[in-house]
Amino acid sequence: MLNLGALAFAAPWALALTIVLPVIWWLLRLLPPSPKLIKFPAIRLLLGLKPEEETPHKLPLWLAILRLLLVALMIAALAKPLLNPAGDLEGSGPLVVVIDDGWAAAPGWRQRQDHIGALIDKAERADRNVAILTTAPAAIDEQPLPRGLLRPSDARALVNALKPKPWPTDRAALAQTLDVSAFGSGATVVWVSDGLDDPAVAALGEKLRDAGALQLLLPDGEVAPIALLPPSAQGNELVLRSQRPASDLPRRIAVQASDDQGRAIARMEMEFAAGATQAQTPFNVPNELRNRVVRLDVERQNGAGSAALLDERFRRRPVGVIGVPPSETGTPLLNDVYYLDRALAPIAAISVGDVKTLMDEKLAVLLLPDSAAPSTADREALERWMATGGVVVRFAGPRLANAPEDPLSPVRLRAGERALGGAIAWGEPARLAEFADQSPFAGLAVPPDVQISQQVLAEPDVELSERTWARLSDGTPLVTAQRKGEGWLVLFHTSANTTWTNLPLSGLFVEMLQRLVALSRGVAGGKFDQALRPYRVFDGFGRLGDPPVGVRAITPELAARFAPGPTTPPGLYGEEGAQQAFNLGDRVGNLSALTGIAGGATLGLIEAQGEIDLVPLVLVAAMILLLADIFIALWLRGLLPAATRLRRAPVTMLIALLVGAALLSPHDAGAQTRDDEVMLRATLETRLAYIVTGNNEVDQVSRAGLTGLSAVLKQRTSVEPAEPVGINPDSDELRLFPFIYWPVTTEQPSLSRDGVAAVDRYLKQGGIILFDTRDAHLTGGRTGAGQGTRELRRLLAGIEIPPLIAMSKDHVLGKSFYLLSDFPGRWAGASLWLEAGDGRVNDGVSSLVIGGNDWAGAWAINSFGDPMLPVAPGGNNQRELAYRFGVNIVMYALTGNYKDDQVHLPKILERLVR
Amino acid sequence: MAAAATLPALLVAADRVALTVIQGVHGRRRVGQGDSFWQFRRYQPGDATARIDWRQSAKSRAVFVRETEWEAAASVWLWRDASPSMRWASRDEFPHKAERAELALLALGGLLVNGGERIAQLGTGERPVTGRAVLRRLAATLQIERRHEQTDSPSLPRRMALPAYGHVVWFSDFLAPLDEIENMVRYYAGMGVFGHLVQVLDPAEEELPFAGHVRFAGLENEGTHLIRKVEAVRAAYIQRLAAQREGLARIAQSSGWTLHQHRTDHAPQTLLLSLYLALAQPRRNAVAR
Repeated sequence: MLNLGALAFAAPWALALTIVLPVIWWLLRLLPPSPKLIKFPAIRLLLGLKPEEETPHKLPLWLAILRLLLVALMIAALAKPLLNPAGDLEGSGPLVVVIDDGWAAAPGWRQRQDHIGALIDKAERADRNVAILTTAPAAIDEQPLPRGLLRPSDARALVNALKPKPWPTDRAALAQTLDVSAFGSGATVVWVSDGLDDPAVAALGEKLRDAGALQLLLPDGEVAPIALLPPSAQGNELVLRSQRPASDLPRRIAVQASDDQGRAIARMEMEFAAGATQAQTPFNVPNELRNRVVRLDVERQNGAGSAALLDERFRRRPVGVIGVPPSETGTPLLNDVYYLDRALAPIAAISVGDVKTLMDEKLAVLLLPDSAAPSTADREALERWMATGGVVVRFAGPRLANAPEDPLSPVRLRAGERALGGAIAWGEPARLAEFADQSPFAGLAVPPDVQISQQVLAEPDVELSERTWARLSDGTPLVTAQRKGEGWLVLFHTSANTTWTNLPLSGLFVEMLQRLVALSRGVAGGKFDQALRPYRVFDGFGRLGDPPVGVRAITPELAARFAPGPTTPPGLYGEEGAQQAFNLGDRVGNLSALTGIAGGATLGLIEAQGEIDLVPLVLVAAMILLLADIFIALWLRGLLPAATRLRRAPVTMLIALLVGAALLSPHDAGAQTRDDEVMLRATLETRLAYIVTGNNEVDQVSRAGLTGLSAVLKQRTSVEPAEPVGINPDSDELRLFPFIYWPVTTEQPSLSRDGVAAVDRYLKQGGIILFDTRDAHLTGGRTGAGQGTRELRRLLAGIEIPPLIAMSKDHVLGKSFYLLSDFPGRWAGASLWLEAGDGRVNDGVSSLVIGGNDWAGAWAINSFGDPMLPVAPGGNNQRELAYRFGVNIVMYALTGNYKDDQVHLPKILERLVR
Repeated sequence: MAAAATLPALLVAADRVALTVIQGVHGRRRVGQGDSFWQFRRYQPGDATARIDWRQSAKSRAVFVRETEWEAAASVWLWRDASPSMRWASRDEFPHKAERAELALLALGGLLVNGGERIAQLGTGERPVTGRAVLRRLAATLQIERRHEQTDSPSLPRRMALPAYGHVVWFSDFLAPLDEIENMVRYYAGMGVFGHLVQVLDPAEEELPFAGHVRFAGLENEGTHLIRKVEAVRAAYIQRLAAQREGLARIAQSSGWTLHQHRTDHAPQTLLLSLYLALAQPRRNAVAR
């Protein structure tokens, strides 16, 4: 290995090849490049011409240098250049690497592996064997690592496959079982530690020093481990805590809260002061998000110790209040629900309703104010619910006072209430006594201004005293409670509103309710009495996965002294839907920093190794030069496209890119243009349209009919329609056509919802549809009697059809172009039906024209311009009248009531003259 | 390139060129020797009785003589070199020599048709006719020939029998050996045909602007020629080209034909004007530039 400061060559002998460079230089300068190739028509005139002197023809200097550089690069690649070479390993014996692969090694694991990989590389270069020792117990589904000496390549594979474990290291076990004599003497021992101290360090260090020189590598900065504790309640808020081994430097970390989909919900920062091992931050998550948090992670740690799983115990308990929401009553301040709602809103999700609806929800606590006296059926439901773990908190009031036999009470009550300090009562309003130690309210400060002026009294009883959680200063119980199966029944002997007491106005009320809510075991429950099977467990990087075979279930006894290990990794235990979280962070004890080993060892830091193999880079550079050389050679010979074309190339490429981008862009540009084309086709010229019914024969006649009508219009009027168009109301844009002919057939399927909407829109916007039931010959002119009308009703179902009337004699349709009194088509006789508008909608122009004379049949012409179908009763006169009707209706569609207004023209002119 | 797309463009371009030239050149519609009917005129003493048109005279009291149109310059056969050497331009901004030749040919055809002449493409065997239709046909033929690139298209027209007093106009680079050209010119001149040679050259062919070490390749399989210093042979080349021109001029002069020079970087109008004048004044031997 040739070492030149930052650069080294692993195969320096290859550099000897550089002696060929001068030879190549000489050859390059000697051999002329190929001449330019130029096509020239007048070559005949050039033939035989020989210049007297020749261009001194040599390779340009820069090109020669370029090619020389190319060769030099190839030689350099052969010599295997390395940047930042790692140097050589000390000692002469084997390399022993001790790896702390407990949870604390997870942050910066990649860095550790790289560091160890570099050590193994050195050992390989020096042809020394390697032993890999790990301090954490192996996972139960993994083979323990071989303890003996390995070839470096095997060791590298082993290290690459190694993962941190989600439990602490057990250095004492390694110190006990390690036999260093297998490594011989003079070994180089490197201990890649996780930075945590424990009593076994000294013993292991002793053992390792026997094998050879010991180097201890410590994690630094970001890589140092952090243990995140699950959030705990402090007062009425949750607090997140984390700890680290002592360090002189302050450190700021961020904790990310994520939901069950892995989405980040919140981010909280906490800071370790310099020298501090603890840090904490309030768990400030908006109420509605808190229930969704399932795990917390310290950012950029990626370890099992820096992740905390939250189970149901950590979530807010849903609370139900039986009664009417205060906003629905006119006097919220008299409503006891209002006070409960206000007291609990910051800490719990509250739903208000009757017993039945609330029982259907998953609730932790049910509040029962006096205004909502439960029925017998409700009582039974509540009893059952309490037996399974629910907490019912009841409040007294006039109703309860008058029903002392109510069984839903922890103690027997006396009839009537006791009034204290009222106008007719004796004594002062009572105050609260201090809470007893065994009471759940223990420790809450009693404000002096809380007064109870009325309460219900309990019958004296042997159990009364132990069921009492709060007393008045005169000793009468204020809050009593009774265990009901898994749950609790709690009674406030006073009201939840301010009629009997001002307790609901005090902060104490809020705290008491919070204590009661905390008393509930949550929806899933915190305690359990049967073994919890592993559900999802952590791996060393804090990822949840299926538990390996052999992980034990956690029994209630085990839960209290849960210690993470191969058979009980941290994770979620329990059934699907009801799991309990066992975290690593609160089971690792206090972390202390490893700073050295008694007895001495060289210290180092775990750091990324900067050795970079330059061979690929150099080869790529050589390839680029080679490509450049090829292009230069072509260019020198004039074989590249002309320079002008090259100049245009970027523009062309840009256009190609843009076009490509347009084609690839998500919206379908092709469809857009297609739509545009259809639109343009329909709108550039006026076109008559017919509805495609699906019956081929009818559609052909419709098309031929409109073609015939278009021809007549062209001949006789200034309307010059283009080819008619067949359209489908379900898919085509109707608005583009002023007039639509709709032959009614039995075959046509009913319109889709879009189709109905489109037709409706079209009619409302002033389009005109001529419905042709084509059955006048069958119905004898009585429109509405035939099959066609029924079909028409079916087709128009869902469309808002205005009332229809038979066309009057003086309707504008009879004079919009020709004066007509009769409108025959193929058949004659059927009357026309129009909208019975009063002239206010759409200027009185009817959107619907309904008839049955099969006009298209009369209009239809074949390609020679001859009529396709006979008319009945017959005669050219009838066909002519049919055409005239067609002209009239198209005029009607295009000009509306114009001709009707013309009736008044003489009058208007008369006025103008005056 | 679709023929249909370029055909009108070519015609329009040719028209535009022709329009700038047509002013100042008189028409030829007058009485003279010819076969076509021109007008009836009252018989005047001295007219030969054989020229009286009896049918016309019978329709009225007067006696009419039938006069025919003067058809001195009867027909013009146009030809352009379609060999591969013409499909070449030294730079992108210059048109190919063939393109320029076709443009000039069509513009000239347009001028002639407007002047009442009859034109045809030499080599197709078609009879000369007049009218705009022939221009379209001419353009279409040129397009078709251009599309079916014939690598073996001859550099000189084929030998065809033409009536005497006809005109031929040849567009080519005339880089073929002089004796071949002379043979062909002699052949046509021998039939009493007047000819006009238009030499279309690329600027690079006149100036040989290349330098250094160059291998030249011909376009008609002439092989390649390596010149190690082009600058050194430039003078000799220009001399050879001048000799070729002189030879052409000599050939033209000896047959009473005209020779016109044109460079593709020059405007085609000047060429057209000189051609048109040469056609209007037959038997004037000139070497116009």
